[in-house]
Amino acid sequence: MKEYTLLSIVSVLLAIALDFALKTKLFFSKKFWIFWAVMFVLIFIVNGYLTWRPIVIYGESFYSGIRIFTIPVEDFLFGFSLITFNITLWEYFTNKMKEKEHIVN
Amino acid sequence: MKAEYFFVLVIAFAVPFIKSLSRELDFYKYPLRLFFALAPPFAVFIIWDVFAASRGHWSFNEKYISGLKVISLPVEEILFFLVIPFCALFTWEVVKYFMRKN
Repeated sequence: MKEYTLLSIVSVLLAIALDFALKTKLFFSKKFWIFWAVMFVLIFIVNGYLTWRPIVIYGESFYSGIRIFTIPVEDFLFGFSLITFNITLWEYFTNKMKEKEHIVN
Repeated sequence: MKAEYFFVLVIAFAVPFIKSLSRELDFYKYPLRLFFALAPPFAVFIIWDVFAASRGHWSFNEKYISGLKVISLPVEEILFFLVIPFCALFTWEVVKYFMRKN
């Protein structure tokens, strides 16, 4: 498998694993997928622009060669995992800090 | 234009940042959670990016970047890993906000 392809798949698996490990259960929540429907459009605009110009140039031998519009499919996995890490941590600490508030009150 | 990558980030950031100050959203209710949500992925993805760029997985078009580099990456690329996650966290709170309302 191509290096970027492999790394991007591993990154998504780690993002799923973190959601399980921190018990944030995002992958089973409706709002998470509604969020992704919105995010997909926004990512498409930004990533689409970056790859269409192109501002970022890809090494042809390191990814699958499959693009949606001008965006390599691996980029979607890259973005999905990055942002899912952010959201998972955000939710984990939101819950932690809410708990703490309740204890203090 | 050299500033183009930077402008993409500014355009992406502008509305989420201004709207994140809205009282109703309470985005900064727990200031530390913003740091904890951004910092670890930032570190991991910078390492990934340094590796990927050095391997040639991708490169940056000199026409559209300032030329300022931080640990071998264009400064715009470093900012990307703060700006885009910030926009995503803002969008996440907006989705939650509207789901609470309905």
